Amino acid sequence: MNIKHDLPASTASGFALSAIFVLTILNIILQNIPNVTQSAGNQLLKLNETEGVANAVTTVVVYFRGFDTLGEISVLFIASLGIGLMLHKNSECNLKVQSNFMLKTASKLLFPIIMLFGLYVMIYGHLSPGGGFQGGVIVASGVLLLLISDKSFEVPHSLILILETFAGVSYVLIGLIGLFTLDIFLGNFLPNDISQMGMLLSGGIIPIIYIIVGIKVGSEMSMIVQNLIKRSDNV
Amino acid sequence: MIGFIILSIFIAIVIIAFSAVTQKKLADSIILFMGVGLGSIVLFFVFQAPDVALTEAVIGAGISSVIFLMALKHLGVQR
Repeated sequence: MNIKHDLPASTASGFALSAIFVLTILNIILQNIPNVTQSAGNQLLKLNETEGVANAVTTVVVYFRGFDTLGEISVLFIASLGIGLMLHKNSECNLKVQSNFMLKTASKLLFPIIMLFGLYVMIYGHLSPGGGFQGGVIVASGVLLLLISDKSFEVPHSLILILETFAGVSYVLIGLIGLFTLDIFLGNFLPNDISQMGMLLSGGIIPIIYIIVGIKVGSEMSMIVQNLIKRSDNV
Repeated sequence: MIGFIILSIFIAIVIIAFSAVTQKKLADSIILFMGVGLGSIVLFFVFQAPDVALTEAVIGAGISSVIFLMALKHLGVQR
């Protein structure tokens, strides 16, 4: 196979540029491996002593950049809204081939485990890696497994409406309570003592906000996946 | 030791990405794209970003590949 004649010139130059980029990164990595792999986490770990949360990344995402997270879930909501508006005529599942026996049985077995793992990642977001976004997408992938294995399965629209409204309203409400009590939007008004660090109930509002983010991301991603799979063909 | 592992993963990612672009069948390209995601999961984990590794594992290798395959099925291109 002659690759050179199949590719346009822009693709070849893109490959050359990315090769130079990768070689530069490799040069940097191979020169100072210990600094790159050891200092990045330690600098972040110094930040979270003020809020009493074991996972420093969660402190940054939810507390120091909490307003950005509110914007991010708004962006995800707008994306879900756009996909729902474009593909709203979902009549029946478009899978022509019947899903086989192994997929049906395995999805029944795996769905509770996937949901449990998603909820674990969501609730322990302030203690271990993961959090609301990751947990929500894991829950949505469980819904995706049910959607491709069972033709008649459908997430009820009213449930998604209730969950999404509840999550969005309570995020803003928690931020407003922080604004009125501490003069900071999304201020940490619940007890967040450093001595409680590592417990399940620690960090004040940070785990509550991450669970809310998880509910919102999970419902939005489930609706995106359902709209994409159950779309009608005449769009 | 860990430098050589990182180096081999880097080279593998570049080779897999190149072969994903030059595939004739689109379904093969999607499978190789999942391979690129798999390599980057290991890299994110080695560079102390387990949160990003978890996100990449779920979104990059899971949901986006299924959405690509669904789009390929709806487009009706030759398999």
